Amino acid sequence: MNWIPKFNSSNSLRVIFVIAIFILLFLSSVAYKHNRDLNETSKLVMHTYEINIQLERLMSAIKDAETGQRGYIITRNERFLSPYLFSRDKVNTSFIALKKLTADNPKQQKNLQRLYKLIIQRFVSFENCLKYSEPKSYDKRRLDNHMFGGRILMENIRFQVDEMNDIEKKFLQSRLKKYDQEISLGPVFSISLFLAALSFILLAYRQISKDIERLKVFNRKLLISSGLMAESEKIGKFSTWQWDLETNKIDYSDNQFRMLGCEPGDFVPVKETFLEFVHPDDKEMIAKSMDDIIENETLPFVYYKIIRPDHKIRYIKSTGKLLVDRNGSKVLLGINFDITDEHLLNIQLKERNSELEKSNKELASFNHVASHDLQEPLRKIQTFISRVSDADKALMSDSGKDYVSKIEVSAKRMRVLIDDLLMFSRTNTTKKEFIKSDLNELFENAKVELTVIIDEKKAIITNTKLPKLHVIPYQIEQLFINLIGNSLKYSKPNVTPEIAIECSKIHSAEYPELLDQAIKKFYKITFTDNGMGFDPQFKETIFVLFQRLHSKTDYPGTGIGLAICKKIVDNHKGYIIADSTLDQGSVFTLFLPE
Amino acid sequence: MKLFIKFDINTICSLYLKQKLEEEKINFTTLGFGEIELNENLSTEALDKLKNNLSPYGFEVVENQKSVLVQKIKDAIIELVYMEDSNNYKSSVFLAEKLNHSYGYLSNVFSEVTYSSIENFIILQKIERAKQLMLVNEMSLTEIAFLLNYSSVAHLSTQFKNTTGITPSAFQRIIKKRREYLK
Amino acid sequence: MQKNALYILLADDDEDDRLFFKDAFEEVRVQTQVEFAFDGMQLMEHLQQPDVILPDVLFLDLNMPKKSGKECLAEIKQDQRLKNIIIAIYSTSSSEEDIEDTFVQGANIYIKKPSDFNDLKKIINEVLTINWHYQTSGLNRDNFLLRL
Repeated sequence: MNWIPKFNSSNSLRVIFVIAIFILLFLSSVAYKHNRDLNETSKLVMHTYEINIQLERLMSAIKDAETGQRGYIITRNERFLSPYLFSRDKVNTSFIALKKLTADNPKQQKNLQRLYKLIIQRFVSFENCLKYSEPKSYDKRRLDNHMFGGRILMENIRFQVDEMNDIEKKFLQSRLKKYDQEISLGPVFSISLFLAALSFILLAYRQISKDIERLKVFNRKLLISSGLMAESEKIGKFSTWQWDLETNKIDYSDNQFRMLGCEPGDFVPVKETFLEFVHPDDKEMIAKSMDDIIENETLPFVYYKIIRPDHKIRYIKSTGKLLVDRNGSKVLLGINFDITDEHLLNIQLKERNSELEKSNKELASFNHVASHDLQEPLRKIQTFISRVSDADKALMSDSGKDYVSKIEVSAKRMRVLIDDLLMFSRTNTTKKEFIKSDLNELFENAKVELTVIIDEKKAIITNTKLPKLHVIPYQIEQLFINLIGNSLKYSKPNVTPEIAIECSKIHSAEYPELLDQAIKKFYKITFTDNGMGFDPQFKETIFVLFQRLHSKTDYPGTGIGLAICKKIVDNHKGYIIADSTLDQGSVFTLFLPE
Repeated sequence: MKLFIKFDINTICSLYLKQKLEEEKINFTTLGFGEIELNENLSTEALDKLKNNLSPYGFEVVENQKSVLVQKIKDAIIELVYMEDSNNYKSSVFLAEKLNHSYGYLSNVFSEVTYSSIENFIILQKIERAKQLMLVNEMSLTEIAFLLNYSSVAHLSTQFKNTTGITPSAFQRIIKKRREYLK
Repeated sequence: MQKNALYILLADDDEDDRLFFKDAFEEVRVQTQVEFAFDGMQLMEHLQQPDVILPDVLFLDLNMPKKSGKECLAEIKQDQRLKNIIIAIYSTSSSEEDIEDTFVQGANIYIKKPSDFNDLKKIINEVLTINWHYQTSGLNRDNFLLRL
């Protein structure tokens, strides 16, 4: 069945989808990773800046302390000392923050340690400066020393801070560089992957829409064919049903309901519903065959009657089959044919047949009557007439003698009629025993039979070689006798009769209108004479029983001879045709199947 | 089992007759088929006894001279029909020479005794021979027609049909069927 | 030929036919003795008598009441004592089937009853002549078939 669509694209579709999904998953994971990297980097930047800021803050606090100290030393105003005093706390706060920020970096921690020492030293130097600048304990040399020392320390601190800043910056830069490297490959790769996924999806979409188109077409076809099926069930007078043995669900086709005399969907069929329609005579048989079908997996034709709700009886023929599908579930399929018309016709035919047989028997017994009971009295009449001797006749009056001879003639004619009629009916009723026979021999026999008249008319009969065929020998002999006899009888007076018999093998296709095309080869045998011929308009009627073209007195005959020929040829499934031109002779053509 | 036996009735009869006569202790000479000469004269009594002894076997002592001649004619005809080179003889000449009588005389005697003609008898014998050749020797009609000096198969067929009322092929068919039927 | 008169037996249920037959034989040159059976049953009873004289030629009508000619023929051919009788079927029927069947069953002669008395005489003459030849001239009786 070609029309069932094959959607083999579904597998490739599945593959395409899986690939596309994998690509998308991959893409999103890459994106997620980038995002995280970015986050980290920005955190790192913040970190670096924070350290930077804290370091700057540290520096400025120290500077503040230095400025405040200077201011105090110069002015001796206590107010200048407050930033110095605060700076110590600020430094500590920043320092703690820095310690936290660089916890993950041992190198920075070490630097921080070093810075811390320097800062402590600086503050010691501040204390010393303050101490030696106090008027009470003023020592210029020592103050200068500490001031210079503070200055150097300050340089060192700055240097240390710068170094720490540099380290952070370098770290940041290397991180940024790595990040840039990673991220620079990303866009092209992602976009191309994305495009690939997109194209896969597009491909799938195209495939799907194509399949949908095909599905639509097949769906339409399916609709048409199911419509056709329903129609053909109606016209063909059959119906179908399905019985799913797993679910025990039975489906009737629409026509099944109609066949049972209901409208489609009038009831929900179950196993027992159908039996309710079956005629009581057949119920048992149908119930049994329903059970058998499951066992035998097939239901041979069953014939039965059903009764429709309107009490009409229909004759049904059913058959069924058990189908097991791929999943192993069993479904019974069945067809019911409504054969009521055929059944009734059959009954009629049987009646006609028996009538025909009866009339055939009657015909046969008529044949018997004709052959014996009719012939006997006639024969006796003739024999008794023949026994009226010349001596007896001499004693009769002239009219008496005349009557006797008229009786004789009539009796003779009746004899010929009865004989011919008998022969005609016998060509039909006697047993038809086909024997492989040499037609040449039968032809010779026919000539022997006609010796007297052939000699009398000095007829010239020629023939080509005839075949060997399966025939009823004496019927073919009779056929030859009748045809040659016919030609001799209707020969032209004072002309030597010439009859030519010719035989050839032909193909039935050469005579398409005439011959049965089921039989391929025929022998065509023609009988051509130079006799009186006949008007071609009679070429069909001459084969009809009792058809005569000449008056009884000119040419005695019964009009049965050619009818016998026709019958014999019919018996052999052959054909006979005649053609003629008046006064030119006639041609009789036989076609006998090989 | 079934055997087809071809026999020559003349030989059987001659042999059987000889045996019978020897049993009777009669001194005799065979002159031809169906003709014997007794070397002694038998009493009427002895002759009657011989007649009675022979009659159950279908032998009949022919006393009439004409009947004797007819028997001789028949023998001659059978001889002629069964001769290999019978084609070389004209039957009337053959009979006249063989029996030392004019053909006209022979012909008259024959029809007087048998109510049928010599010609008919010859035909009957020839057809009989043809039947034999057909059935025993399984010869074709063409061969038979040639062997029995017929001008054509048609001629043979015609004569066959005229003599027996049936055609040679029908005859063959019937005899074949009859053998099957009687088996 | 004149040993004794030829013994002829005809089985025919038709009185007229028996009459024609008898008259025809009276006019035949050959000396004959003609007897009749009126039907097949009577014929068979007659033939089955132990010391019966068997006919030279038995003429048998096919269409007889009680026992048909064909049945008689079959019975005669079954009987060792009777089977060599020359049998001439003497019937109205000219059906090829009847002719062939009776020949096959062992009849020697088939005569279609003629409708002319002179023909009947001719036929009887021919039968007697040929039959006589068959009985006296060493002809094989198995091949004796004659249709008239």
